[in-house]
Amino acid sequence: MKALLKQKEISILAIILLIGAVLSFVSPVFLTIGNFLDIIEGNVVIGILAIGMTLIIITSDIDVSVAALTTAVAVSIGYLFTFLPDSWISVLLLFLIAPVIGLVMGLINGLLVSIIEIPAIVVTLGTLNIIAGLVLYITNGNYVNSTNFPQSFMAFANYELLGLPILIYLLAVVAIGTWFILKHTLIGRSVLAIGGNTQSSVRVGIDYKKVKLFVFAYMGFLAGIAAIAQTAYTKAVDPNGMLGLELTVIAAVVLGGANIHGGRGSIHGTLLGVLLLAIMQNGMILARIDTYWQNVVTGAIIVIAVSYDHLSYKRSQDKLAKIEVEA
Amino acid sequence: MSEYILQMKDVSKTFPGVKALDNVQLEVKKGEVHALIGENGAGKSTLIKILAGIHKPDPGAKFYFEGEEAKINKPIDATLKGVSIIYQDLSLFPNLSVAENIYIGQDSNKKPWKKINWKSIKKTADKALEELEVDIDPNTTVERLSIAQQQLVEIARALAFEAKLIVMDEPTSALSSSEVEKLYKVVDKLSSRGISIIFISHKLKELFRVSDRFTVLRDGKYVGSYQAEEIDEAKLINLMVGREVSYEKNEKQVETGEVIFQVKDFYKQGNFKDISFSLKKGEVLGITGLVGSGRTELAQAIFGVNKPDSGSLKIYGKEIRIRSSADAVKKGVAYIPEARQTQGLVLEQSIINNISLPILNRMRNKLKLLDRKSEVQLAEQYIKSLDVRPALPNLPASKLSGGNQQKVVIGKWLSAQPKILIIDEPTNGIDIGAKTEIHKLLRRLANDGIGVIMISSELPEILAVSDRVLVMRHGRISGELGIQEATQEKIMNYALNSGSKKNPSEALDDTSRISQGV
Repeated sequence: MKALLKQKEISILAIILLIGAVLSFVSPVFLTIGNFLDIIEGNVVIGILAIGMTLIIITSDIDVSVAALTTAVAVSIGYLFTFLPDSWISVLLLFLIAPVIGLVMGLINGLLVSIIEIPAIVVTLGTLNIIAGLVLYITNGNYVNSTNFPQSFMAFANYELLGLPILIYLLAVVAIGTWFILKHTLIGRSVLAIGGNTQSSVRVGIDYKKVKLFVFAYMGFLAGIAAIAQTAYTKAVDPNGMLGLELTVIAAVVLGGANIHGGRGSIHGTLLGVLLLAIMQNGMILARIDTYWQNVVTGAIIVIAVSYDHLSYKRSQDKLAKIEVEA
Repeated sequence: MSEYILQMKDVSKTFPGVKALDNVQLEVKKGEVHALIGENGAGKSTLIKILAGIHKPDPGAKFYFEGEEAKINKPIDATLKGVSIIYQDLSLFPNLSVAENIYIGQDSNKKPWKKINWKSIKKTADKALEELEVDIDPNTTVERLSIAQQQLVEIARALAFEAKLIVMDEPTSALSSSEVEKLYKVVDKLSSRGISIIFISHKLKELFRVSDRFTVLRDGKYVGSYQAEEIDEAKLINLMVGREVSYEKNEKQVETGEVIFQVKDFYKQGNFKDISFSLKKGEVLGITGLVGSGRTELAQAIFGVNKPDSGSLKIYGKEIRIRSSADAVKKGVAYIPEARQTQGLVLEQSIINNISLPILNRMRNKLKLLDRKSEVQLAEQYIKSLDVRPALPNLPASKLSGGNQQKVVIGKWLSAQPKILIIDEPTNGIDIGAKTEIHKLLRRLANDGIGVIMISSELPEILAVSDRVLVMRHGRISGELGIQEATQEKIMNYALNSGSKKNPSEALDDTSRISQGV
């Protein structure tokens, strides 16, 4: 029990409850089921991307190209709609094609990082610019084909199961699937091992490059799914709609207790991180705080949370006695 | 079947510019504890890394496992042959549980999508821990364990891999004495079960306690293998060094003057206690003690990196308070850490840029921009006075030999014009000739009026350079000796057992352990 309380995830949960309590006083709307579902549905895309990012951050890398990647897949979806017949089969097909497009782009990132061994921040900055540039060239910065989305897709986007929007189920599937991979498969174990101690993982025969390739490819795969979610949620394809979203994604992962130096991170922690950011944003909107100030507050919370975490780590390191001093 | 679990023959390894191993051989019998010994740089680690598949030997080397020839190209090859290596820095995953750590790598040949079999993980871990008769909860994460426990987890991992040969690289260096005793028992148990062990250590007494045979390396060459019965410590030392270690004495050349530096009642919980000493002008103070006695922690406390809980400092009779390392430099204290390459130098930068680093704010012209000319002048001055070779101010520090790198580090700190210079293991990893030069240099600095405090594990070095010797043990000063009365035996006695009577010959044995640079 004590170990459970010590977990970072619990302190995030506590902060969420605290902020929630404050907000329910500020606005009567906050503590309604409708508002809650809105918050979650509105953050499905960030949630899916953050889950992929968690694996990358556990291996002590980073991917800043995720938003551009997702946009690129979304734009592809927009053009695909002109080819695909209006039928539920097309929607299913979309769930095949979009992740594969994302996967291919993720593989490119992964190959550059693992085979040529370029630092991930450099690789993904590069692919971010290439992809974003190509997207703008192709679309001219205009919405793609958004006026005549197929009816079948609209039906999917608006579908509710047991009163919950379909996108929430999508997030749940991704979360549970990734948790399973991380916790119960060999590749997931290797991800944790590389993050915990890269040198040792090589010594015990873990193929370091394969694992790196996997996390970036998987990120691309999830970006494909996130692109479907984004298209379904906004019911439009906006080539500029996700500008800078990668920072929110990374912030959510870090807030969720993942260590940017690798080794630590969990799916439930990341989901809590996403929720925390989402509730803050929602609360500030309900409290009618100016958008610019919202950014400032969000940024400040991230810096404070991470500093607190790092300070408590340093303190615990300091406490470790180095020498058995004789009395 | 061969009586040998492992035979390595004609192993050579050439690194660019260095022949690290020259036709070395190593033969380990089944179930024996085999000590591999040699000075720092004798080639032990290189040999082990070749066995581990991390380094590739030069062509011509032959390996036999249980009499059959085999190739080792990568780490997993060694593992499959039953070789497990327990490195000094350990190979555990702090973020995974004990059980996962023990099991990891067992299924590295399976498909990555394969589901983890928690049952077999648990079974393997329980079995291995049980065999070792240790009481560690397999579900705890490894970062919560002590070093000794972590080491046992590594041994358990080796057992889980059904290792036939376990290499332990300095396994006792981070353990307390009771933990060491437990480790010996584990080693005995393993060897009685037919598992062979290669034991690497600098502690000779320890080696005689556990080992059946010895293989001695010297300067990358094979000296010989000996049964424990046919050899003793004195002989062993002789084989290892092949020469008497002793340095030219650097005696005091000026009259010692006033007290320039005083430490009073320094205390930090878990680091050191009751530390008081003073330093006179013109004097070199040597501080020694076993690794882990608190020497480095004390030096860092004086320098403001590892702040003490209580105590005071005086420089030239004036009490000062040091808040940070930058503050220490400002107040005239310089500290040259042991890890020259990582902490002392910006390796890729030129000698000039390294030397001017501590006083960059004094290197500015009227426009407050960096003045290259005075930087170059400064560097040239120190290159000349410290005799840095080659005398090329623009050469990156990484291109210099160890001894010359150390001179640049010293020059760098001299440029800040310190009153007190603390230098930690000044000649670690430097060849003999350069060592003598550094010793002379330290003496010269003392002559010039800088208070020099030298921390060293190498007793001949302490005796060659210091005027007074402080010996530390378990965070306290256990003895103080003037250079006239100081001998290696006396120092060792203080380092090992303050005040208590231990038979002197035993203490003498340990001299080797400290002077070989543990």
